Parts: sequence; C-alpha cells; structure tokens
Amino acid sequence: MSKGKRNFIIVIAILVILIVSFYSFLKGSYNSFVSMDESVKASWAQVENQLQRRYDLIPNLVETVKGFAAQEKEVFIGVTEARSKVGTAASIPQKIEANKELTGALSRLMVVMERYPEIKSNQNFLRLQDELAGTENRIAVERRRYNETVKDYNVKIRIFPSNILAGLFGFEKATFFEIPEAAKIVPKVSFK
Amino acid sequence: MKRSKHFRYTLFLIFIMVLAVLSAGEYADADSTAMKFPQPQGSVNDFAGIIAPEYRLSIKSISDNILAKTGASVVVVTVTTMEGADPAEYANRLYEKWGIGKEGKDKGVLIFLALKERKIRIETGYGAEGIIPDGLAGEILDRYVMPFLKKEDYSRGLYNAVAAIASVIASDAGITLENVSQPRQLQRDAVKRSTPNPLSYIILFIMAILLIGTRRGRRMLPYLLLAILMGGGGGRRAGGFGGFSGGFGGFGGGMSGGGGAGRGF
Repeated sequence: MSKGKRNFIIVIAILVILIVSFYSFLKGSYNSFVSMDESVKASWAQVENQLQRRYDLIPNLVETVKGFAAQEKEVFIGVTEARSKVGTAASIPQKIEANKELTGALSRLMVVMERYPEIKSNQNFLRLQDELAGTENRIAVERRRYNETVKDYNVKIRIFPSNILAGLFGFEKATFFEIPEAAKIVPKVSFK
Repeated sequence: MKRSKHFRYTLFLIFIMVLAVLSAGEYADADSTAMKFPQPQGSVNDFAGIIAPEYRLSIKSISDNILAKTGASVVVVTVTTMEGADPAEYANRLYEKWGIGKEGKDKGVLIFLALKERKIRIETGYGAEGIIPDGLAGEILDRYVMPFLKKEDYSRGLYNAVAAIASVIASDAGITLENVSQPRQLQRDAVKRSTPNPLSYIILFIMAILLIGTRRGRRMLPYLLLAILMGGGGGRRAGGFGGFSGGFGGFGGGMSGGGGAGRGF
C-alpha cells in the first residue's frame, strides 16, 4: 500500500465515523424529544380523562345533596356555575383555571354537607362521596405523573447539548399543572 | 511500519470515543420519588406485625386462589408509619413501585393500612377500577372492615377486606372460590433490555474487519471485546419483584390511577 493511499483511507475512515456518530446523536436526540413530547401529551390526556370524570359526576352529586339541604342554594349555584365554566374552557390554561375553581366550589359543598348529619347515613350519598374523593385522588395522581413527565421533558430540552437541537427543531417547554390552593382542603373529604 | 501502528491505535481510540458518545445519549434519571418503600414479601406484607398467623395464612390462600383463577392480584400491606406522607399518595406510589398486577392489565388491589396514622385505604389498579368502583370500595370498608379496626382487631378487619374484595372479583369473573389453594409457581419477571442502536453494530462490524485484518489488530481483539461488553451491558429492570416475593406471582409492573377509597379508624 502506498503512503498516499493509506493517508486517504485514514481520512475517509475518520470522516465516516464522525458523520455516522453525529448523525446517530442527532437522530437519537430528535427521536427522544418526539417521544417525550408525546408522553407529555399522553399524560395530559389522562389528566383530562379524570377532570371529565369529575365533571360527569357532579349533576348526580348535586341532585342527591339537594334532597337534604335545599336551602343551601348559593353553594349549589357555585358548583353548577364552576362546572359550566369547565365545560366551556377551550385551551389548556383555561381548563386548568376553571378546574381550580370547580375544586374550590366542590370542597365548599362538602364542608357545608358536614352540617347535615342525616346525609351521612344515606347510602347513595356515601357512595357519591367516595366516588368524588376517588376522582379527586385520580386527578391528583394523574396531575403528579403529568408534572413528572413535564419535568423530564423540560430538563431534556434545556440541558446541553440537546438544548441547541431542541431550539433548532422548535421543541418548547411544556407547562406544569400546579396544585390549586383549594385542592388542599379536599383530603378532609376523603378521610373524614 | 510505524505508521501502521499509529493507524490502528487511532482507529481504536476513535472506536472508544464513538462508543462513549453513543452510550452517553441516555442518562439514567434518578428515582423521582423521595419516599422509601420496603421490598414486597408476597401477598401479605405485614410490616407493622399486626396480623395473626392463622389470618395471614387464610389471606394468602384467598389471594393465591384469586390470582390463579382470575389473574387479579390482591395484596395486603401494613406499615407502622408513613412518616408524614398522605395515605392516598403513599398507597399509590407503593402500588406503582411494586407493580401490583401485570403490566398493561393492571388488575390489582392494594389494601393498605398505616398503624400510627390510623388510616386504611383500598387502592384499585387501572384494571380493577371497573370491578370495584370507589363507592363499593368505601362500602366494603364501612361495612366489613371499619367495625373491626375500631376495636383494634386488625387481623379480622384486613381478612374481611380481602375476602370481600375476592368475592367481588370472583363474581365478576363468574367463578366461585373454594377454600383449597394450590401453591403458585414462582414467576420471574421479564427483564427489559434497552434496544441497542443498530448503527453502533455497523460501526463495530467495520472496525472489527479493519482490526482483524492485521496481526496487531488481532492482538487488540480482547480489548475490543471488553469494550463491547462494557458498552452493551445496559439492561433495565421492568419493575416487579416476582423473583423474591415468597412465590406470589402477583407483581409485574401494574399501575394504579388513584382509584379506591380510604378511611381513618
């Protein structure tokens, strides 16, 4: 093998390796952005499922409770209004905001119900109360998983060197679903 | 042939660098939970030591039976304290950590009791939510469990919870439960391997040909094999502890969405 030929082979080999490893890095990063982005979307869908579940539960709950405490009108109105706001919310931030309000209205309703001891012996109410507490807990679980997914994704697109690629491909930070203040009252309902 | 020597060493170095770059792409993310959980011991995990031996055996027998016949995994856990954690969150994380029920099916129920906090919770997996709705879980607690827990008869209370849940699962599956139970075969969990990048194999192949082509290259072969072994050893556990859970095959990566009901006693 002549000297020139050998040098040529060395250069080609190095070039091939560099290109291949760069391509592989690029591909790996991009694909992991895509799959993490999809995970964020999927876990948000889970959150929405549970929010919808709560939304569907409310008419039944309000009907049952009305039979015992018809005079607590403003509490029922508060829940119904908050629920209809949830129904009309379109964007994700709007939905988060409307659901925070609904959480507050519902916990007020449950607190008011504490004043009516006879309702505690109603089987239908007890079931609904468990369903509501279970749904609130499901929302909490899915929200936590969503926030964890968002955190992983945000870290991934912000650390070096993948942040450069994320900027290049247009991957943006996802928003957290913060725990609403009113939700902190709710565990009282689940463990009475 | 001084140049040839340099040539081989350069190739070898680049080879190592490529391996490093390829494997650096995946960073191991730390466990997102700060909570520490004990290792599962089977269907009955009485860490608080409050279940009498004869009840423990009965619970085990029911749990084995229901697992064998319906594939549903019923697990009892008692702890002395949750160290300030919320019972619903603790039970849910424990459920996920242990992977109760098979991955994707998630047909499992966790009956969780925290002694110091005086809390009990029935946590249903995604696949058990339909069989045991939250309202029913609460009713089981109110009717069969709470009266005994209030008298501090934990054995009976937990046994009743398992028996009630088992009968609901059995009637849903259209079977009847007998008292006889056969010991379950030990089940080892599947270990998920991360799929290696095909490109790294292609590079390895090219390099191997280049290296085997000469005597010096052949001499490097042991180092090469070592490098392959180090680069490709990234197996990952799928979650689940079938191997050391006392022969109970009810763990396998199941998840819970937070369904169920809880009470304070």
